[in-house]
Amino acid sequence: MVSNQLDTRFERLAAAAAHPLAELLDCPQDAGRLLSGETKCVDFEPGAVIFRQHGPCKGLYVVVSGDFVRKAERFDMRVTLGPARPGDLVELAAALGDGLHTYTLSAVTSGSLLLLPMEALRRSFESYPPLRMRLLEELAREVSRAYITCCLTRMTPARRHSSAAAGA
Amino acid sequence: MATLHSHHPPEDCLNCEHRHLRMFCNLTPEALADYDQIGIMMSHARGAKLFSEGDPARNVFVICFGQVKISSTSRDGKTMILKIAGPGDVMGLSAVLANVPHEVTAEAIEPCQVKTVRKQEFIEFLGRHGIASMHAAQSLSGEYLTVFHDAKRLALSGSAAGRLARLLLDWGREAANGKPEIRFTMALTHEEIANMAGTSRETVTRLLNQFRRDQWITIKGTSLTILKPDQLERLTA
Repeated sequence: MVSNQLDTRFERLAAAAAHPLAELLDCPQDAGRLLSGETKCVDFEPGAVIFRQHGPCKGLYVVVSGDFVRKAERFDMRVTLGPARPGDLVELAAALGDGLHTYTLSAVTSGSLLLLPMEALRRSFESYPPLRMRLLEELAREVSRAYITCCLTRMTPARRHSSAAAGA
Repeated sequence: MATLHSHHPPEDCLNCEHRHLRMFCNLTPEALADYDQIGIMMSHARGAKLFSEGDPARNVFVICFGQVKISSTSRDGKTMILKIAGPGDVMGLSAVLANVPHEVTAEAIEPCQVKTVRKQEFIEFLGRHGIASMHAAQSLSGEYLTVFHDAKRLALSGSAAGRLARLLLDWGREAANGKPEIRFTMALTHEEIANMAGTSRETVTRLLNQFRRDQWITIKGTSLTILKPDQLERLTA
């Protein structure tokens, strides 16, 4: 029964897998030209902070090379959200939401990112509205994966707390 | 999140006096008029299940008032509470947009009113209004951070007292929304709080009594006020 439940959750995790970047950013020529014309490539050294939580979002990032880590603060608690690796879209929430970063991104190794500036994104959304919905769906898949991963983690015995161990 | 709320349910979205306080519903007049036309208002009794983990996601649910427990089932059949959703929270959004089954179960922990919108209707609404899709993105990012925050609370806080203190402080700050008084409605049972804090019901009861005796908190009915947040904060270190 336990393994069935795990299998089901892994199946759900697979169903919520990230879509390929080319598929996500695929759009008609006009909107595509807007995006590619404005895209910038930026290089970073290890330890560099690319953006900070609550800071203004310059646009949507795509990891080209290197390893990056995402960290967030909520009230006084710091949480590591996980790595960002080549091919990952970074900060859909900020780019589609209120334009403020929802976490801090730092470079772990040397690497580079593509930046799709906000203004170009905005104009692409106007020229091709389905692009916004497609990116919103991708953000939803990211949240869905987070839920399932969190449940899987809490199903793993090593991470569970018995009442005795958790006593004050 | 635990919040204080009005017991006067709004009859429709256009006349809702709480709308400007709620992230998702605070729309432009044009989007709001459209939003008012979609979905239906539904009242749910305490204990009613809005959706269950693994169910196909057919609707999006926006809480107008009341609180809803978001949970998942563990390997031994125990319920793991992930968070408490309150007024303004959008439920089922990630599953609907990602086109996957519900990742969690949502159950009313007090009488609540929920605007229920069919999947396709909601997606089309988002497509028509940029502001609504922007609010949906904000809602999703809030959910995303809450999931990780909750996982960390359980994984890292050393003592049960620390985890319970963290939970109370989080609920209090969320409800206070910057106001000096940290007070919120605690609709969960001690058993459920124990589940969220990764401890036993007996420990929660003992610790709440201890916090009360030390005059760090007061409890009147379901209303809990944090009098000395600094003391609770120390426990979480």
